[in-house]
Formats: sequence, structure tokens, C-alpha cells
Amino acid sequence: MTQLTAVEKVLALKSGKTAVRPGDVVYPNPDFIMIHDGVVMGAKRELDQLGINRLATPDKVVMVTDHDVIYGSARAAERGAFNRAAAQAWGVGQFFDVGRGGHGHIFPMECGMLLPGMFYFDNDRHATNAGAIGAFGFRMGTEISRVLATGTNWVMVPKSVKLTIRGRLPPGVHARDVGFRIAALIEAGALTEDLDYRVLEYAGDLDQFSLAARAALCSSPTEMRAYGVFLPPSAAILDHARARAKVPFAPVYADPGAQYEALCEIDVSALEPQVATPGGVHNAVDLSQVAGTRVSHAFIGSCGSGMWDDMAQAGAVLKGRRIAPQVRLFIAPGSEASLKRMASEGLLQTFIEAGAVMLPPGCGPCNDAVIGPVHSGEVSISTAANNNAGRFGARDAQLYLGSPATVAASAIAGAITDARNL
Amino acid sequence: MVSEFQWQLAGRCYKLGHNVPHPGGVVPNRIIVGRHFDARDIIPHLFEETDPGFHTRCRPGDIIVTGRNFGMGPKMNGYIAMQALGLGLICESMPFLAWRAAIGCGLRVMTDCVNVSEMCESGDELEVDFRNGFFINRTRDIRREYPPLPDSLLEVVELGGNAGWLKHWHETQGTATGS
Repeated sequence: MTQLTAVEKVLALKSGKTAVRPGDVVYPNPDFIMIHDGVVMGAKRELDQLGINRLATPDKVVMVTDHDVIYGSARAAERGAFNRAAAQAWGVGQFFDVGRGGHGHIFPMECGMLLPGMFYFDNDRHATNAGAIGAFGFRMGTEISRVLATGTNWVMVPKSVKLTIRGRLPPGVHARDVGFRIAALIEAGALTEDLDYRVLEYAGDLDQFSLAARAALCSSPTEMRAYGVFLPPSAAILDHARARAKVPFAPVYADPGAQYEALCEIDVSALEPQVATPGGVHNAVDLSQVAGTRVSHAFIGSCGSGMWDDMAQAGAVLKGRRIAPQVRLFIAPGSEASLKRMASEGLLQTFIEAGAVMLPPGCGPCNDAVIGPVHSGEVSISTAANNNAGRFGARDAQLYLGSPATVAASAIAGAITDARNL
Repeated sequence: MVSEFQWQLAGRCYKLGHNVPHPGGVVPNRIIVGRHFDARDIIPHLFEETDPGFHTRCRPGDIIVTGRNFGMGPKMNGYIAMQALGLGLICESMPFLAWRAAIGCGLRVMTDCVNVSEMCESGDELEVDFRNGFFINRTRDIRREYPPLPDSLLEVVELGGNAGWLKHWHETQGTATGS
């Protein structure tokens, strides 16, 4: 029996094959197809121009409004209206419009829509978050139009790299810190040469990581060009999925003799909180090296740190404290469900009393600065997906990244601060 | 299938180095952020920042030869112009999504052509068959064989990229491969 990695197994299953190898071209049958508010207009116009007004599998299409949730311009409002008309014309199966779902790479895992072993197509590259629950979401970019029209598209089976995590994270150190560290090691060539179009498959001491922590572990490898990230679902993840699943599912695990392009390891037992300095997630350093850097803009949320646990960790730091007078702190929960829970469990009160500004569930500033951007020369610390120049505002702003606890502590102090020292 | 599709190009080499970024290196960033996808709008700006007027000097059949990591991201604009000008592209390496974008624009493209930029200089007379990977430098009498496009992706390029593929699929009621 051929021994397969996780992605090989899922792509074989979804393509009706017994086995696939890296480099094979397959046409997987997805569990669903996701498209976000920013690209519906382009896809609709492209298909309309070709005279294609019916989708192959409209019931499988999930449309999500998460990139530009509260329209800050007439153009955004126009796009929202266009998207609603498109959803109706196409007859999409599920439309999570403003105030309905939240962040498309978070709420489907929370609510049991995205389940272990699933495969879906997405226009957006942060579909890699699916690995947190043991599934795969593949980015199609503008080629999502072919998926909408025909139900699938060509996929070249990616190579897999196996990264084994050893040891337990020290208290106060977050999975996002692990991600930043991994990115720095990849950049230095110390783990594996290149993640371009690879699937990073985690192994080792993973039981310590919750679903939220797993989403955080998917984030930085994605910024290092991984096409997929995968964590074999633990018993706790399977319990979460079983409690919420409305359809049967079958978790997938790599075979013991699967072939990887590279095998690498990282010991996290002595890891310090990390901060990614401006220019990319790979510019990570121990927080102590940049402690005291003054900040005026802070943001907690995004696909990398927008789950309930992330909000709770930030809330634990902010409880009973106030943010520094020169700082504006934005909070964007990953889902409407998290927002409701924040209200019922007092977390919302904590954030508001601390002086934070609540944003609607979605991408927050981390989408092209449609909301809460930075100005030229400002210094920001956030949990955004990345800190490439201009990610959310002026290109000459200084964007730092940290864990939710680090961002909360830094907002309180008005300078980059280790939450363990508060 | 479009049987008369010309997989073999014969023309002059236009050589570029390693790590040429799409914004700036291939087309000005304003063409990318301005979301220009019409070939007529992009052609005058192809290689504008490094070689103004390139589009007036290149000829159909000319082949762009690059070093490693060409394109550096999934942008399409430059490939749209190259395709419309009848050019080919062969690279020592491209990020996967850059390669995919080039195919999606219907460009005759090959990647993972190891050390190909050592096999030619700008102006050399080249012949490249993108369907079987044959590379000939007539000027220097060098022959190499590189990995061609996978068979299953040939029709995407033959039909002019994603839009052409979809048009054909629609007109033939979904008989194209993978539908």
C-alpha cells in the first residue's frame, strides 16, 4: 500500500484515486467553495461576460462578507449591494453577509462547517487555516471563477515538509510566538530551504495546542509561502468537531511511511515571546530585544489570532487595566459567535473599560486598511497576518507583530511589553 | 483542441537575472495596483522601468529567459502582455503561483530549466518547443531538454488561458478535461 502524507491522502480521496504523488495534476471534488466579498464582483463579471450565469454546484458555494464589513465608502456599499444581488442570482447555498458569520477562515471551524478530512477551494490564500482542524483549503485566486463555473479546477499535488514540535510551551508563550520563530528559522534556512507551494505538516507534541493555537500555527508558514498547513487532529479537536458536525466526516492522518521533501524539528520548551519587526513575519526576535519601543496603534484579531482563546488571552491581560492615552486599540473577533460569548462572559466589558475599540467580526485593519489604518510614521503592534510594508495603511509606518497577550500588554504600556512582566 | 496552436517558438533571447519582481521588474507597480488586465493597456509598460520601449523592439517568437525566482508572486499583468505579444518565457525557477498565473494567462512558459540563463545571452537565436521541453540555442549550438508543461495543462495554454478555457468549456457544454 502506498504511504501518503496528509495532503496526498485528502487529494487522492477527493479525486477518486487510491494514491497521488507530488506533481500529479488532479481535479478534486470539494466539500465546499468559499468566496469572499472582495472578489465576488470580479468573478461575477468575468462569468457574465462569458455568458455563464449558472454555477456548477451553487449549493456548495459559501459567500462570506469579512473583508469590508462596515462600508466606509460609497464604493464599498455599492460592492455590498452587488454581492447580495450576485448571491441571489447564483443561488448560493450559504451567504454569510454582514453580521452573519464573521471571518471566513475562522467561523467555519468554530461552528462545525469545516471538519477534519475535508477539502475546499477558496479564492484567498489564508484558507490554509483549515489545517487547524485537520482539513485543507486551497487558494485559487481569480481562478475561483473556473471552480464556480465547473465545480473544480486543476490542482498540482504539493510536496510536503514535516515539522516536529518538541517540548511544552512555557506559560505566557503563545502558539503565535512559535509561528514567528518558525518563520525566522525558515528565512535563515535553518529548518527547510523553501516553503513555496509546500504543505507544512506538523507532528510531535501537538496535544497542548487548542483549535485557536492551531490556527495561529497555520499563520506564519502561510506568509512564508506554504500552500497548505496541516495539524493531525487531536482527541480534543475531534471532540470539538463531533459536537458540532451536521454531516459525517472522516479525519485523515499521514501514513507512517509517507515521503516528505524535508524533515525538521523545533524545540519550544525554552521559547521566549517573539515580536516580528517591520517587514515580514520572518523578522522575528525575542521580545526583550525590542521591549520599550513606543507604539500608538494596536490591533487584535485576523485569521492568525481571531478565535475565542485569542480574545480571552488578550482580555486576561486587559482586565482591570486601561490602555495608554496615546494608543488606539482595535479588537476584531473572528466570529459573531465569539462576539456573543464575549458579551455574555464579560469580556466585552473588559475591552471597553480598557479603552479598546470594538470592530465587527471579520478581517479588521488586516484587509487593505479599509478600517483602522495607520498613518505615515506611526508605530503599530498587532496580531495581523503579516507586517509587510503597507499591510494596513502608510507604507512607511512601522508594523510590529506579537501574540494577543503581547499586543494587549503593549497597548497598556504604550510600548512593546512582555505580558509576563505586567 | 486547437490543433494549429504553435508550441514551438523561434526568436531572439531576452535575458534577465535572478529575483526579478513582478512590480517594478516586469511592469510598474501602478499597473498592478491599478488592476489593469487588458493587454493593450499593459503592453506599453512591459519592462518599462528597466528597458523603456521594449514592446517596440520585441517580435513575436522572442523568448524571455530568466534566472531563479522570476515574478516573485501570483501577479498576472506582465504575463498578459507577454502572451499578447507572442513571446515565450523560460525560467530557472518561478514561485509556483507565478507559474500558475502565467499558465492562466495562456503564456507559453517553462520553469525549473536549471542553469538555462548560462546557455544564452540576449540576442542569441533560440528555438524552444514548450510542449516537449526542447531548447536549442542556434547561435551557440547548444541543445538542452527541460521539463515541459504537464500534458493535462497544455489545453489551458492552447485555449488562451483561464478565460479562453472557460469560454471553450461553456461553448462545448463542459466537455473539456476536468469538468
